[in-house]
Amino acid sequence: MKKISVKVLRFDPEKERDPHLETYLIPVNDGARVLHALHAIHDGIDSTLAYRYCCGSGQCGSCAVRVDGEPVLACMEEAREGIVIEPLKLPVKKDLVVDLLPMINALPHLEPAGEPVMLSKQDIDAIKPLRSCIECLACLSVCPAMDVTKFLGPTAMRQEMRLALDPRNKANRITEAIREGLFTCTTCQACWKACPKDIEIPGKAIEKLRAIANRNGLTLPRHQEVATLIKETGRSVPKTEPTFLELVPAEVIEPYGEVKGTVGFFVGCMYNMRLPKTALDAIEVLRRNGIRVIIPKEQVCCGSPLIRTGQLSFLDTLKRRNIDSFVFRGIDTVMTMCAGCGSTLKNDYRTPFKVKDISEVLAGCGIEPPARLPVKATYHDPCHLLRGQGIRDLPRQLVCQVIDLIEMPSICCGSGGGVRSGNPEEAAALGKRRGGEIQKTGADIVISSCPFCEFHIAGYTDKPVKNIASVLLEGYTEKDRRKGAKAVSRPNE
Amino acid sequence: MRADDCVDCHVLVIGSGGAGVRAAIEASGYGDVVIVSKTIVGKGGCTPMAEGGYNAVLREQDSCGIHFEDTMKGGAFLNDPSLVEILVKESADRMADLIHWGAVFDFTEDNEIAQRPFGGQRFPRTCYAGDRTGHEMMTTLIDHLSSTPVVQMNEVAVIDLIKDGDAVIGAIALDEKGEMVMIKADSTILATGGGTRIFDISTNSASGTGDGFAIGYRAGAELIDMEMVQFHPTGAVYPYDARGRLVTEAVRGEGGILKNMLGERFMTKYDPERMELSTRDVVARAIATEVLNGRGTKNGGVYLDVTHLPREQIEAKLPVMLEQFLKFGVDIRNEPMEVAPTAHHVMGGLRITPRCESTLRGLFACGEVAGGVHGANRLGGNALADTQVFGKRAGEAAGKAEKRTKRIDEQQIVGEHEHLIRFLEGSVSPAAVTGDLQRAMWNGAGIFRNATDLRAALAKVMHLARSDIRAASARNLPECCTFQNMCLTATLVCKSALLRPESRGAHVRTDICHAWDAQTSPFSHTYISKSHEGIMRRGGTA
Repeated sequence: MKKISVKVLRFDPEKERDPHLETYLIPVNDGARVLHALHAIHDGIDSTLAYRYCCGSGQCGSCAVRVDGEPVLACMEEAREGIVIEPLKLPVKKDLVVDLLPMINALPHLEPAGEPVMLSKQDIDAIKPLRSCIECLACLSVCPAMDVTKFLGPTAMRQEMRLALDPRNKANRITEAIREGLFTCTTCQACWKACPKDIEIPGKAIEKLRAIANRNGLTLPRHQEVATLIKETGRSVPKTEPTFLELVPAEVIEPYGEVKGTVGFFVGCMYNMRLPKTALDAIEVLRRNGIRVIIPKEQVCCGSPLIRTGQLSFLDTLKRRNIDSFVFRGIDTVMTMCAGCGSTLKNDYRTPFKVKDISEVLAGCGIEPPARLPVKATYHDPCHLLRGQGIRDLPRQLVCQVIDLIEMPSICCGSGGGVRSGNPEEAAALGKRRGGEIQKTGADIVISSCPFCEFHIAGYTDKPVKNIASVLLEGYTEKDRRKGAKAVSRPNE
Repeated sequence: MRADDCVDCHVLVIGSGGAGVRAAIEASGYGDVVIVSKTIVGKGGCTPMAEGGYNAVLREQDSCGIHFEDTMKGGAFLNDPSLVEILVKESADRMADLIHWGAVFDFTEDNEIAQRPFGGQRFPRTCYAGDRTGHEMMTTLIDHLSSTPVVQMNEVAVIDLIKDGDAVIGAIALDEKGEMVMIKADSTILATGGGTRIFDISTNSASGTGDGFAIGYRAGAELIDMEMVQFHPTGAVYPYDARGRLVTEAVRGEGGILKNMLGERFMTKYDPERMELSTRDVVARAIATEVLNGRGTKNGGVYLDVTHLPREQIEAKLPVMLEQFLKFGVDIRNEPMEVAPTAHHVMGGLRITPRCESTLRGLFACGEVAGGVHGANRLGGNALADTQVFGKRAGEAAGKAEKRTKRIDEQQIVGEHEHLIRFLEGSVSPAAVTGDLQRAMWNGAGIFRNATDLRAALAKVMHLARSDIRAASARNLPECCTFQNMCLTATLVCKSALLRPESRGAHVRTDICHAWDAQTSPFSHTYISKSHEGIMRRGGTA
């Protein structure tokens, strides 16, 4: 037995106006779970503590709570010193007990066709990955779309896809799914990462349902326009200025010093056509750190805007062209600096080469220390880098070499999943919320690593929004300036 | 509250596991149905945590006759043959219902429902959905329940049945705030599941507290074979607070092997023919014996090893096991699990007819709260089948029962009220004494039993039952009722265990030697009710 201290959010809506955090010092056994900590409070200190539980083995979905803000199953999550236990973000009945029923009852149901329908193993294998949901509703507590717009939520979409895959269900429910909010999902993946059963709702349900919507002619007009543009130009945005691929002086950019590594550079539509200056900054940083960069000019859009919106008809052409452009040059590592492209190449492609985000490339070679800049910054985690690629610490390590970092919660800015084009009001609401969080940090600048995030956030904050590469380059420029100043000042000493 | 201020329905179903929900679905074809759940319908009971599978005769090479024989032999011939016959005959049809309603069981390459071997069966007849079979069934049942007009009352705990003369006419319950609710019904179905939470180490969910046995007994129903408690051979031993957590028989079904501390595959000594896939009573005793004789691990278990199996097989067929053990720091693909026996299933329960009628008019029972189907030891995979076969039968029989005029006895309501009020003035929190009860039962009425220890356990339980239990608030009233139900269920187990002077199936009396075996035993069911108790002789005499 050891003693740990935990905080629990207590609230009796019938008697109190606001919830309050209560601290408890409790004895727990080695390996005890959060549920056992709650038992210890209930059994030993205050038996009026209300919390829900049943199977104790992660199978019934009764006991989901938030621990340090993240939704978990209390019976599976280890009880650690100092944790804060709060209810899910649903109406609280008392303490940790929330009203699950309205959401559970709203989930769609299978309507069996009149005659028995034969199932195949293929059907079963398709449905199974969506079937292990225990309706704990953890996903509802992390979904940004649900906070700002009408959306029935991630697990409702999972259930819609499960029904869509089942030949026993008589109805085509795609219009219902759209009404329930299919196009409000930003594909931020927070639901997947919160799911105790690891159900990949964005990729396995939402994008698949959007593909069904596409086959039923129900793709949003704005999304169709993007698809048309990609089909005609190979790019997801129209050309308005010289592109990066036009500006970059050669196909192979040699580093300034010794060659420590070689990468192929997958530029992506946004850095190529909207933020070419940022991509050029990245090239400078790479040159400075011994990375040879090969830039195939025939590369096109990665297809992410099509995959996220379910428009798959010519996706394979894009994939083949992109893969071939690197394979022909014998490249074994392709670098992305757009979080969306990186996540797409890593998760939606089968590539014969390794794909690395620029932060992985730079951290891998160990960068030359830049000068420190006298500003405070906050870092915005792009969803497709943090959750899509599992990269959290590397960008921070890079940024911290130049600037002091102030953390803020990792929440979606609202630009992904076709929401910025298809559902601008929702994107604006999420952007505004992001702007508010940035304001709270008191930082001078915002740093990120995704052109969509950078572009979108810039509309909702008065602070400059910069890419990591640009900030690193500023650090190098400052370093050179100081060195130059020293060199100049020395003769006068 | 007033006696006329209550819900009125044709069929009341108490309990929301596999049996209760199946019963409610079936009954909804005959009239208004209310299902009452202590938890949220679909999340309670043990069905959603059942991992391994569902036995059904589906193949040409198999037959109901073989399933019948396996079940009777596994049950040490204490099973009620008429109930077993129904189980094996109807289980496949109930599986077809589930498939029709959307269940996603694993299929073979030939697009047939896949089946795997389970202990004590001569044919691999256990259907499964990975190792989350019960969850798959529950998800399907809840999905289908929603398409019926059945009224769900969630987080409402039934505390007693209401009687009109000899007949049951509904139930009294407490809602989540501790307010009394009354439900009148022409037919009442008890589907409250089991009660192995009365033991220190148990696989059961928090709702497995034996409420149905206690509620039925207090109303005057007769229970049979309450001494028959199955100890599942493989429960987790670490971490301490999660001890007893079920490690599914499917692990052995898929090829897992048991080893003691010395690395010996000890089942060779206990059942060289069936080895790890012997019946649960045999494997549980083998593991307990190894541990008692000092060949266990330091956590008091033995090793259950699947590391020789292909990783893909473990990932595809045992995903829940893999996930649970990973959470506790063990990767079962690379290292063995540590397991020990854990109280799992109560084979005994309310005596029922093939129509699931209890000995009380108006009261039906199905699922684990009913006795007789599994005899002295249940085969893995027969419980899930039981929930569907007898759930349907109970729902049908209750639904077809006549409408009645139901008169509530004000005196009974007043009595219940006084009983509850006393909790608010009590002095001992239920949590303070529950552990004592569970340890007394584990030590005195566990895998190996003798009269002295059983009497000591009984005395302790009866002493605890008289504790001056306290409810900290009205919301805590159900906990108090649950504790008293646990005590009463424990009493029934101890008394019945003392009534059976033989070792039979899961019930082992180390203080009694006898020449007969299960097949030639002179004894049949033990029985216990408020008015009488005893043991029947074969051929039906008491």
